[in-house]
Amino acid sequence: MSTTELRSKSRLPLAFSVPKREDQHNEDSFHRSAKGIYALSDGASVSFDSASWARILVRRYTRNPEFTHEWLSAAIAEFRKLYDRDSLPWMQQASFDKGSFASLLGVRIADAGRAIQVLAVGDSLAVLCDGDRIKATFPISTAAEFTRSPRLICTNPTHNAFLDQMDLAYDLVADWTFRGLQQPALLCMTDALGHWLLSQRDRDSSPISILRKVRTPGAFARFVQEERAAGRMKRDDTTLIALW
Amino acid sequence: MSYQAEISRENPTCILFVIDQSGSMDEITEAGRSKAAFVADVLNKTLYTLITSCSKSDGVRNYFDVGVIAYAGSQVTSGFGGTLAGDIVHPIQAISENTLRVEERKKKVDDGAGGIIELTTKFPVWFDPKSEGGTPMRAALGRTIETIGSWCEQHPGSYPPTILHVTDGQSTDGTPEETADGLRQISTKDGQALLFNLHVNTGAGLEIVFPTAESDLNDEYSRMLFRMSSPLPAHLAKFAGDKGYSITDGSRGFIFNGDPQCVVDFFEIGTRPRLVADR
Repeated sequence: MSTTELRSKSRLPLAFSVPKREDQHNEDSFHRSAKGIYALSDGASVSFDSASWARILVRRYTRNPEFTHEWLSAAIAEFRKLYDRDSLPWMQQASFDKGSFASLLGVRIADAGRAIQVLAVGDSLAVLCDGDRIKATFPISTAAEFTRSPRLICTNPTHNAFLDQMDLAYDLVADWTFRGLQQPALLCMTDALGHWLLSQRDRDSSPISILRKVRTPGAFARFVQEERAAGRMKRDDTTLIALW
Repeated sequence: MSYQAEISRENPTCILFVIDQSGSMDEITEAGRSKAAFVADVLNKTLYTLITSCSKSDGVRNYFDVGVIAYAGSQVTSGFGGTLAGDIVHPIQAISENTLRVEERKKKVDDGAGGIIELTTKFPVWFDPKSEGGTPMRAALGRTIETIGSWCEQHPGSYPPTILHVTDGQSTDGTPEETADGLRQISTKDGQALLFNLHVNTGAGLEIVFPTAESDLNDEYSRMLFRMSSPLPAHLAKFAGDKGYSITDGSRGFIFNGDPQCVVDFFEIGTRPRLVADR
């Protein structure tokens, strides 16, 4: 691959998102920086104001992609400042105490695609492609894995204990590269689309070629609507970041 | 196959608590509180947990219709007070909006930095402890039949009702077994109503948890409560097993001589019908 082709990957990727239902708030959040850092988060609608929690996670990641326990504590502190806990009515206080949950998928593209680092907590999916072929996915590799309850990042630290058992810079990270790929592309998506993609990967028509044709927000909304109507995609907030 | 219906706002399920408030419930447990006070506390906490599990950014969603039947002396009444007292079963959103009062309690929590801090937490109360008179269990189960029979007629496609019956003594208005049999015959298309029985003790005596056979039990009273209890459906059996209980094929939703932890677990297991569909 030529240097020119690699450099072309430093532009801002396409990003589209549609809510679960038109009249409902979208709890997915994404952020792109011109420095080649992208982040995607899927706020769990069972939890308290997970949209704000997802937004804090993606903004913080694009500012500082070194995900550590201190990073997480600072993010939790920022979320807690949004509310005066003691003045909340009992029901909101209970939900606030239980915590807000969200996934985090962060991507750093360095050296014009020669080094790509993907950080993933939860069930948002990163996909490395070459043309219409899927070269790698992270952190999930089969559609069946989406039926398990994902481990998400929570504003209540007791629910983040699973991170204490991990080496955050190793266990949550995949290192990829565009080097050697003829037509490299990188996709990041929340779980409904991730499940769709992995369940369609062995079909005659590659799911990558279908996504490649989606270039506008309107086209993305129509694509999601058609796949939901056909029963191939779960009705959920659905977001795609695509670097073609 | 039964007990597969997804729970949604369009197809909620019903959870009905049937609580013995007879005189013997004032006995003090090893923890230093009366059985009535302990059961009331666990019931309030269970309602709190159910409501918060239904709370979304757009408010409380009506995944559950919840009722409380209280019985003591010669009375069988709604266990709710205030504006909820007029009926047995209410959508969970109405329950969330109609507490008797909100107390403040202290609780210790992880501060996120390796320490523990004490937080003042708002604790809603719907149900106060009472304990007086006899144990009209048969009449209470009869009222339960009327309540869930009517509910099932209105919700034929829903996950069937779950009835959690808590008692500490023997019925004083005749044998309740036939009434319980009738109760378990009521069904939706997704299966028969589930009746789980909890016999609370002050701490003395061997507890028997989710038994499989009548022969596991020593006396006729406990054997009758066993016969009155539904087998645990597979998903509840798994949940009970995950909590450390020894569960085998055919385990019934019945605890005899349950200690306070059993009371907590009984409520937690019984109020986990299935995950809801539209989270």
